[in-house]
Amino acid sequence: MNETAAATEAATGTGTDSADGEPASASADPVVVAEGVRKSYGDVVALDGVDLRVEAGEVFGLIGPNGAGKTTLVRALTGTTAAEGSLETFGGPPREVDPQRIGLLPQSFDPPERLTASELVDYYGGLYDAARESAAVLRDVGMADDADAWYETLSGGQKRRTCVATAIVNDPDLLFLDEPTTGIDPAGRRSIHRLIERLAGDGTTVFLTSHAMDEVERLADRVALLRDGEVVAVGPPDELIAAHGGDPRLDVTIDGDPGDAVADSVAAALDQSAAAAVPEDSAVEPTTDGLRIVGIRPEAIGDAVDALDAAGVAFESLAWSEPSLEDVYLRLTGEEYSPRAEAVTLDESESVPDGNESADGEGGR
Amino acid sequence: MSRITRIGTEATAAARSFLRRRTAVFFTFFFPVILVVIFGALVRTQPTGGGLFAEPAGYYIPGYLAVVVLFTPLSRVGSEIARHRDGGRFEKLATTPLSRSEWLLAHTLVNVGIIGAASLLILALVLAVTDATLAVSPALVALPAFVAVAVALFCGLGAILGALSDSQDGVIAASNTVALPLLFLSETFVPPALLPGWFLPAVAASPLTYFARGTRAITFGGGAWAGDLAVLAALAVGFLAVGAYAVPRTD
Repeated sequence: MNETAAATEAATGTGTDSADGEPASASADPVVVAEGVRKSYGDVVALDGVDLRVEAGEVFGLIGPNGAGKTTLVRALTGTTAAEGSLETFGGPPREVDPQRIGLLPQSFDPPERLTASELVDYYGGLYDAARESAAVLRDVGMADDADAWYETLSGGQKRRTCVATAIVNDPDLLFLDEPTTGIDPAGRRSIHRLIERLAGDGTTVFLTSHAMDEVERLADRVALLRDGEVVAVGPPDELIAAHGGDPRLDVTIDGDPGDAVADSVAAALDQSAAAAVPEDSAVEPTTDGLRIVGIRPEAIGDAVDALDAAGVAFESLAWSEPSLEDVYLRLTGEEYSPRAEAVTLDESESVPDGNESADGEGGR
Repeated sequence: MSRITRIGTEATAAARSFLRRRTAVFFTFFFPVILVVIFGALVRTQPTGGGLFAEPAGYYIPGYLAVVVLFTPLSRVGSEIARHRDGGRFEKLATTPLSRSEWLLAHTLVNVGIIGAASLLILALVLAVTDATLAVSPALVALPAFVAVAVALFCGLGAILGALSDSQDGVIAASNTVALPLLFLSETFVPPALLPGWFLPAVAASPLTYFARGTRAITFGGGAWAGDLAVLAALAVGFLAVGAYAVPRTD
């Protein structure tokens, strides 16, 4: 099965165990249901028949390239833009939902600049029937020490954290976070991650949009990948990775030109080793600074080192990695990293799948 | 939470935000002051009785008040809408209990406060630097009502301009384009006798005309003003309603 077919099955609900992308504990009363949602801006189709279902208490990740329609989908789900199709939030139209139950961090959000962080949280909290204390909310996002600083004097990351605070001040049941950690340093990101985990643990449903794949992989119970306004895959991160992430790889940094000949000789040496831990379809690809041995398992790293020695390749470092959600993203969006040359296969009768080809058959964009 | 509390919250944030922008505060008050100094103190009537300001100084009090009552809400509310739209604030507010009409009412309240203070300053300045005298009568208590209602009216119009314009630059240009003709063709600085007869229906159609007539009746010439206030109030309700509807949610 090619990637496109597999992805389509995953998105539409046919085929695999996680085919419909719904969690095993799918409830009868999902928080968000979208069926056949379409939205166009003139001739530009932003959403093209999106189907989604978000269950109560789960962290639902939405990923996709720039312009895929993620923000438009968030707007449709929050009722801030009109879209065709069926949209339900808490069982009713998004615009009729009790605002007390919704929290939103828009992707592009610039609140009044000459209010302090504390005043901003109090301001947005003051619009609700009930709201948390601003000090506690700012502590949650790691902004307690800067509560009295004007928003305009804060760094980019501090501003974003303050904006996150305004989204949770009403203690919502459903929280939309559109790229919450953009511009936030690693420590700040961790505090936001811990916050999301805690909110989810307390029963808040979180709809998380992000370009940080590690963040989504860590936090999301399920992930939907949006491409060109369509959901092309949805499911738990580990299942998506297993289905679309590709093989583990060993990246070899070498001193010298990692040309085809070098890759050929390493592939031949690796083939000669015939180690059980080296799959037959392993491939050796030249990269910009070395080689990538695809499909190799950790226990075969020793064989790979032997093969490099046998081929006379002096290497500087080795790095083995498992496929991740980022690989799923790159493969299904057609933006997969391409080695600088054609892959060299251990078994010349087989070819290494090309991510660009596998995702949509159109090649890289 | 009550509607009043939400309006109060929004108004407090808007007022704080404005008062901390020193340049904006300074020029909000400086603009009408400089106008009074130029037209009230520097420009003189010709000895023959002709010239720009041929009427008694008190005649122009409504004109000076109209400057701040007209220009400030148009540009402030219009710019605020553009700023909110550019900053994604309406998208955020659309998911809160604050309605569009509450948002506009809150910003109208802030403008009434700011422009009320500016109007007081202008009135004091006009009396200080020109020969104008204020007709003191019980009707003077209605003067703040005229200012408040007119500010509300032009806040509504400012909201419409802000919603129609696609940028802050566009709002300023649109505000000036609307405000300048209104200012000079609404019985403020130019008496109707100086205008061609066929143009007078247009003068009667200007909301600012009713502000000028009413406030002139109170501060200068005497006469009935309640009808003007009623027309102004009815127009204010209409403009606020349309303005509230025009305030964007997102798209």
